Amino acid sequence: MTELARILTYQGIPVWRHTRVIQWAAQILSAIVVVALVAWFFANVANAVQERGISYSFSFLSREYHTPIGDTFVPYEPSDTYLYAFGVAALNTLVVAVAGVILATLLGIFIGVIRLSGNWLVSRLALAYIEFFRNVPLLVQLLFWFFIMLVLPPERDGYVIAGQLYVNNAGVSFPWPTGTGQPIATLIWLILAVVAIIAGFVVSRRLSRREVETGRTSYPVLLGCAAAVAIGALGWLLVNAFAGDAPLAISTPEPQGRFARIDGGFTARAGMIVLLIGLVMYTASFIAEIVRAGIQSVGRGQTEASRALGLSQLNTLRQVTFPQALRVIIPPWISQCLNLTKNSSLGLAIGFTELTSVAQTMTQLAPPIPIFIMLMAAYLAMSLTWSLIGNLYNRRIRFS
Amino acid sequence: MNRYLKYMAGAVLLVIALAAMACQQDAEPPAQSTAPTAAITAPTEPAAMTAEATAMPADSESTSMTNQGDSRLASVMSRGTLICASNDSLAGFGFADASGNITGFDIDLCRAVAAAVLGDADAVEYRPTTASERGPTMQSGEVDIMSRNTTWTSSRNATWGNFAPTMFYDGQGFMVPKNLGVSGMMELGGSSVCVQQGTTTELNLQDFIAQNDLDIEVVVFPDNVATNAAYTSGQCDALTTDRSGLVSTRAGFASPDDHTILAGTISEEPLGPVVPHGDEQWFDLVSAVMSMLIYAEAYGITSSSVPTAVTGDTAIDRLFGLEGSYGQEDMGLSMTAAQDVIRAVGNYGEIYDRHLTPLDLQREGSRNALWANAPCTDCPKGGQVYAAPLR
Repeated sequence: MTELARILTYQGIPVWRHTRVIQWAAQILSAIVVVALVAWFFANVANAVQERGISYSFSFLSREYHTPIGDTFVPYEPSDTYLYAFGVAALNTLVVAVAGVILATLLGIFIGVIRLSGNWLVSRLALAYIEFFRNVPLLVQLLFWFFIMLVLPPERDGYVIAGQLYVNNAGVSFPWPTGTGQPIATLIWLILAVVAIIAGFVVSRRLSRREVETGRTSYPVLLGCAAAVAIGALGWLLVNAFAGDAPLAISTPEPQGRFARIDGGFTARAGMIVLLIGLVMYTASFIAEIVRAGIQSVGRGQTEASRALGLSQLNTLRQVTFPQALRVIIPPWISQCLNLTKNSSLGLAIGFTELTSVAQTMTQLAPPIPIFIMLMAAYLAMSLTWSLIGNLYNRRIRFS
Repeated sequence: MNRYLKYMAGAVLLVIALAAMACQQDAEPPAQSTAPTAAITAPTEPAAMTAEATAMPADSESTSMTNQGDSRLASVMSRGTLICASNDSLAGFGFADASGNITGFDIDLCRAVAAAVLGDADAVEYRPTTASERGPTMQSGEVDIMSRNTTWTSSRNATWGNFAPTMFYDGQGFMVPKNLGVSGMMELGGSSVCVQQGTTTELNLQDFIAQNDLDIEVVVFPDNVATNAAYTSGQCDALTTDRSGLVSTRAGFASPDDHTILAGTISEEPLGPVVPHGDEQWFDLVSAVMSMLIYAEAYGITSSSVPTAVTGDTAIDRLFGLEGSYGQEDMGLSMTAAQDVIRAVGNYGEIYDRHLTPLDLQREGSRNALWANAPCTDCPKGGQVYAAPLR
């Protein structure tokens, strides 16, 4: 009550001239405007949609899709549902995005480092690479690689290298491990293989810490690899003994039938190869510049000091310059990962059935608005995942 | 001081909450009362949307005003051009030539409508559209007509727009390089087939594969150019699309004789122009223009023999607005619209001969001959091209 009395008897700056009141009022007003705009937008869309008789129900997702998808990394039958087909396509995009980011990062670091090389020719070559690939539109580059790929001979009389590697304009096929008759044995061995790799890492870390602490040479990398291989091999023998069958076999590609289509092994189809080459070349040119900027942001004194301590040029880069440069590199690098993921939607121009391409096909027999909402949500989810991973790593390498 | 502000903020929020509640109470009763009627017209519509739509009465009114108060015919006339979604990469049907002019069978259908409505066959604004863009383009209502080798299907009729009379009967076939020695469609098992995205072709191919249990690898491309490039370079063993499209594509190859179009079709593809839903008068008008082209041929009137004075033949005189009427006033056409149309683009046969005969698409004896000649026993040309009689 006394509070209320105080408010009622308040005598200070008039309310309408009080800064904080004005600030609050402005905040609330703008919030109302934003909410009203969004509501108006949605009502408008809903109205237009209703008047034109466009459906926006998601019920089509459980219907059978009945349309082929060119590239698939998981088994897909035309009798599968729209939802499953959407997932298959999302996986295609995801595979390209992950492979693309890894390759583009490696290539980008390489180009960025040699861009700073003292060798005039090498650094100018890197410069030419960067300026060419980042200044030509990605779609143009993709179409260029697409038509380059078509110059290769067709599948029926393509190149065969050592009887194992098939190169033709439909794709590149190579031997690939496949499971044998017993999927459980394969699965157990794969789990063991993961365990082996983790164990190898642990061993190598332990040994390298010992090396640092005691100064004794401990061969961390060599022994780590040896541990991983040993556990993997032991697992193989055990699984083989219990299941009576090797956990994995090698499937080799081989032409089949009158059209000599290649069966077996793993075939990276033309669309995916072209898209990966295009995305990697393009994105690497940006990453190279980011890497160069990062390395140059590290003070010259750091390099000079480590050289004076007797570290080789490579070791200076690995142990001194690059770890410090990472702080500068990571945030813009995350943006490039996002760009690459989103740019993969251009795959539809060159015949790779990625997410956007499949979604477009779906709009033939299903309402477009829900499909595009799902499409946006899928890209948003992928981008946010990249951001999350990048930001977590960024937090780890920051100076504490 | 702080406490005072807190109270202020609390009071403001309370006012907003009250206002929001009041609004909801306002909106709810009408939403409930209109729900049953809405449910009749659109039974699958979620109720939430109906409520949302009625909650904004001002908006829905303004939207319906623009949609109904302003007929498409009126907006075409005031704009002075007809917006026509077309193809620009299919020789014979819709093709941009070296100087950038789009010509073709489908293009002339748009020109005919422009001549009927605006008196000028050149008053057409073309919107080159890829196959998969067609649905969204029609649904948005941004084009007046789409004449782009589009197959009439029930689902497209339900979602895209109304299909005017079929102007070309087609069917899907396969083309393979001769040196593969394939002699029939059933021998395609184990091959890879190039197909264009967003087409009935893609769906028919899937049905064909499933029905015949063939192991065919499907390679999908977004447009004619990429699809044809992939086929000619041998990335896929066969190319599938409508037979007319195959003929037109093959004619563009460096050595057409190296490719053979396999006998038979796997689908029926009636192609015709589409107009957006929601304006029956416009649909009737476009259908009538197609009738004019067909009946001008049936009556033997070509672009050079369009009558301007009464001829004495009632049917011809009615077609050209010299006697009686076939409903021009109700469609919003001038009485003599057919004169402009036939003078500008010619009759159906002339359009066919101009664009499709050079591609070796035989008309005589095919489904694309006139039906008008058919019902009698002494007219061997009988095909399936017909439209509503003009009377």
